[in-house]
Amino acid sequence: MNALMTQVRRLTLFETLLLAGLLLLAAFLALPIVFIVNHAFKPYNEMFQFPPTFLVREPTLSNFYDLFLRSSASIVPFSRYLFNSLIVSAATLAAVIVSSSMAAYVLSKYRFSLKKAVMAMIMLSLMFAPETVAIPRYLIISWLNINNTYFGHVLPFIASPVAVFLMKQFVDQIPNELVEAAKVEGASEVRIFLRIVMPLAMPALATIAIITFQSVWSDGQSSTLFMQDETMKTLPYYIMTLTSGVNAVAGQGMAAAAGLLMFLPNLVIFLFAQKRIMETMVHSGVK
Amino acid sequence: MASVSFRHVFKTYRSEKKPSVDDFNLEIADGEFLVLVGPSGCGKTTTLRMLSGLEDISDGEIYIGDRYINYVSPKDRDIAMVFQNYALYPNLTVYENMALGLKLRKTAKHEIDMRVKKAARILEITNYLDKKPGQLSGGQKQRVALGRAIVREPKVFLMDEPLSNLDAKLRAQTRAELIRLHRELGTTTVYVTHDQTEAMTMGTRIVVMKDGVIQQADTPQRIYRHPANLFVAGFIGSPAMNFIEGGIAESEGRMYFNNKRLRLRIPESFYPSLREAPSLRSVVLGIRPEHIVSDPAWLQHFDNKVSALIDIKELMGADTYLYLNVGETNLVARVDDAEDGFELKSAVEVGFQMEKAHFFDAATGANLSADSLRGQP
Ligand SMILES: Nc1ncnc2c1ncn2[C@@H]1O[C@H](COP(=O)(O)OP(=O)(O)O)[C@@H](O)[C@H]1O
Ligand SMILES: [Mg+2]
Repeated sequence: MNALMTQVRRLTLFETLLLAGLLLLAAFLALPIVFIVNHAFKPYNEMFQFPPTFLVREPTLSNFYDLFLRSSASIVPFSRYLFNSLIVSAATLAAVIVSSSMAAYVLSKYRFSLKKAVMAMIMLSLMFAPETVAIPRYLIISWLNINNTYFGHVLPFIASPVAVFLMKQFVDQIPNELVEAAKVEGASEVRIFLRIVMPLAMPALATIAIITFQSVWSDGQSSTLFMQDETMKTLPYYIMTLTSGVNAVAGQGMAAAAGLLMFLPNLVIFLFAQKRIMETMVHSGVK
Repeated sequence: MASVSFRHVFKTYRSEKKPSVDDFNLEIADGEFLVLVGPSGCGKTTTLRMLSGLEDISDGEIYIGDRYINYVSPKDRDIAMVFQNYALYPNLTVYENMALGLKLRKTAKHEIDMRVKKAARILEITNYLDKKPGQLSGGQKQRVALGRAIVREPKVFLMDEPLSNLDAKLRAQTRAELIRLHRELGTTTVYVTHDQTEAMTMGTRIVVMKDGVIQQADTPQRIYRHPANLFVAGFIGSPAMNFIEGGIAESEGRMYFNNKRLRLRIPESFYPSLREAPSLRSVVLGIRPEHIVSDPAWLQHFDNKVSALIDIKELMGADTYLYLNVGETNLVARVDDAEDGFELKSAVEVGFQMEKAHFFDAATGANLSADSLRGQP
């Protein structure tokens, strides 16, 4: 306590104001999280109260109960959507990390013809919103005949220009000499990539992992467009159906619970990755 | 250990029109400490990288020992390289950094351990073996980089400006250490630097480069005393050699160097080679600062004297540099600190030790007097 007091006293007026401002901002940014958590535990009467309440008064697990058990009565159980989502997210994450880090390494550290053209295409594809490529994607997926497969979920995400771009920017900062020293020392290409470049690119890897996970975990488009078989659809799609049509009111409780479940992995992965980023930054010793 | 041989080696980068290394021919003997020196962008690094295998060779052949290595990959050339920015793996400890090359070559564990510890002892980095490079100072990092090269016991060491990131004191210290290391190990070394002091102090032989072309390859002493051309004369030596433009004329069987202000008699030893020169109308006289004399006791024996104005006086400890004005010509003279009394803006009489002078063709830069010195050390 004493140490804290002396810390605080040493701040200048500007720093104090800054600190206060940042705390306020942080509190404001935390509001949605607080809301999501509270909302999931609200009983029905609180959910539709007017004026709406922010915090839950009588927390209940009934929303989760409904979500897990009652919805199991429908044709496809909740757990199937959850399972699909987990499979698709994990596969996509792995595929994006492997493909974009390898692409970035080659684009950053190798000299070859058409490199400029490849980079230009990646930059160009950064500019397309996902909606604009929905139709070509659909055509490709049905041409490959991978509708209603997990691969159909994963494929559109693998070519991730954002991930390649971020990784390349980061790998650019790793000195060429490090790669060259390893070559002279006798390391194979695979070894240089896995043991020298990747450990140093950890922060970028964490970043693209977060970005990719968030987009694939919350993506309902693949299920809507490419999956006709209900058993192949994912959680975000299911949550959309909870509150659509006749369920607009009845599904609100389940939707709130599902919303929290959707959000939790993001929180966990972020906390985990944040720690990794800090660790890597501190120990990397890259100037 | 091995010799290295460059035969008509060229390098033209795809984006460049003219070659960055142009007809590079050089035989490096086993155990030599060869220094490639030249201004930035002259092709030193490119040459070294071709030898290391990190850069393709556009034309010509490179041999290490008897082995033709143009298409041998870097790891199979049996070389070790030290980089300017150390290039240590930040995620590995010092020990692991040094051991990696041996580990990749499937050396036995106890052998690795022995070699790493021995190198660490030589370089006095035993205490840091468990640290990460990020926790070391620049000098310590460079020692680790050297250690990584040493443990491999390669045929050739390649070093690209390894001391450039160190401060002056540490640089001098590490320089001495590298010399000692080379004496102990006797490994053929190719060392790149843009610093002529490093070249002069470290090299058993120096190769001076400019625009991708070798200007001169010789021992430090011979390069200093008998520079092949204006460029080498100006590049090697600190402060740089003084250059005075003028012409050489012969009258009554004697040769004189003339310009608007000066008329200097040329010693007879220069005559044979100067007479062979295509033209003597436009030449550059080169004279090193230490060959401009101001000691009165000495001066009385000189017939090549001139009065100069002291512009700046630089006290360097043992020596004093005088920056002199003779008309439009600026000269630097090195005088003993013992000789006090050089007042700024005062006139001083200086003499040129003409037998130590050089005459260069103003157009081509070639040393016209080199022939007369041939055979001298
Ligand atoms: N990767 C490259 N691509 C194109 N030109 C290059 C490349 N590397 C070096 N050069 C050019 O080659 C010349 C020699 O460069 P370098 O060998 O690095 O010189 P030094 O090491 O003597 O300073 C320079 O003119 C430089 O611009
Ligand atoms: Mg260089």
